[in-house]
Amino acid sequence: MDLQALALTLRLAVVTTALLLVIAVPVAYWIAFSGSRLRALVEAVSTLPLLLPPTVLGFYLLVLLGPRTPFGRAWIQLTGHPLAFSFTGLVVGSVIYSFPFAVQPLVAGFSGVDTALLEQARLLGASRLRLLRAVLLPLTARSVLTAAVLCFTHTVGEFGVVLMIGGDIPGATRTLSISIYDQVQDFAYTQANRTALVLVVISVAALVLLYSRRRHGLSEARHG
Amino acid sequence: MFENRRGFLLAAIAVITLPLAAQTTSAAPRALRIAAAADLQPVLPDVLARFTADGNIHVDVTYQSSATLATQIMNGAPFDLFLAADLSFPQRVIAATLAEEAQPITYARGTLVLWTRNDSRFKNLSMDSLRDPDLKSLAVANAEHAPYGRAAQAALKHLGLYQQVESKLVIAENIAQTAQYVESGNAELGLISLTSALTPRLKVSGHCVVVPQDAYPPILQGAVIVKRAGANSADAHRFLDFLMSAPIQSQLADRGLAPAK
Repeated sequence: MDLQALALTLRLAVVTTALLLVIAVPVAYWIAFSGSRLRALVEAVSTLPLLLPPTVLGFYLLVLLGPRTPFGRAWIQLTGHPLAFSFTGLVVGSVIYSFPFAVQPLVAGFSGVDTALLEQARLLGASRLRLLRAVLLPLTARSVLTAAVLCFTHTVGEFGVVLMIGGDIPGATRTLSISIYDQVQDFAYTQANRTALVLVVISVAALVLLYSRRRHGLSEARHG
Repeated sequence: MFENRRGFLLAAIAVITLPLAAQTTSAAPRALRIAAAADLQPVLPDVLARFTADGNIHVDVTYQSSATLATQIMNGAPFDLFLAADLSFPQRVIAATLAEEAQPITYARGTLVLWTRNDSRFKNLSMDSLRDPDLKSLAVANAEHAPYGRAAQAALKHLGLYQQVESKLVIAENIAQTAQYVESGNAELGLISLTSALTPRLKVSGHCVVVPQDAYPPILQGAVIVKRAGANSADAHRFLDFLMSAPIQSQLADRGLAPAK
């Protein structure tokens, strides 16, 4: 059992999920409420990572983050090393890879909110941030939680993107899924089974915990 | 309405499946399915073009790491011939009593090269470039299960460089991915296969030096004919003979795979 890989995977999933929620909430808000003509285009582009096979997405990221693009060169100038083969690189890759899983539930949730309610809050003088915090997010708690769970689990199970931009470095980019893959490639099936079992048990336990809390949270919101 | 919809559905199914049916009933060329190691990807298509020139045979090739292909064959994948990048993976297939041979047939020998992009800072590339204290990253294939990765590790140890570069290694799953790491410029140097280095794309974008042959055990590439119900054994033998023939062996040599003997 590769504990280092387990710790790394959980760290990657937590960081990715937190970042994604921060980025996806404003994007989803804009998609749900702006009414701009660009809306459909933005929504379509935000769905793209679902369309590309993960290894293909990973390959493009490898090229995009590398020293042959202005962005990659700027990053190397700033930090002295390329973004690929580092934990930060994996975070960037994971955020892009799981972006649709954050945006889609939020857009669905936000779109279901009665706009009259938001209008009233606005008339009562609520700022946009307060509107979001005090009205919109509590009303769509279920969607926010769904987005968070999907991002987290999707990142834990992420393979193709990590395979392409990771470089299999212990403690930095060797995640649990890569570790299992390596064990299978080495015909170490017993080890691989054990690692996979731990991954499944932890994930199911976490999901059960989350979903039972969700029902609890919802009934509170309904009565409160 | 229901009748219409069902009619439409039937028509749709017919339209979709008819070409398939036609394909299977017409005089289809014989089919040969080859499982080929990733390092053969730049080499094999031209060999196959010559083999299938008469149009009587259709060849499907799956390129993967030798480890993945061996696992797939041992779990019943419908391949007729396994062209691996070393001898250990065909031996696994033999041990599982899924091969016709008792020993893998060595069909080629791989060559390891040190490669860098032309726009990298290594203008005078040599094995000594690996001693550069400012070297940031060296791409190698996984030493546990990729034959070229095993050779790379052995060579680095033999040349007394392993400890120095260990912290700079970025590890790819197979030799094709190793080439991607260094060709995309993300890794400064890479130990890749000569077959990759001689592809038109990498020939233009970079240059290489051959790793001394005595620094690593030879990368002998082995083949076995897969034994299973319904296997196309006859054509697998024909292709293997073709692959071992003098003109094809010299064609392979031009592309970075030395003759086996």
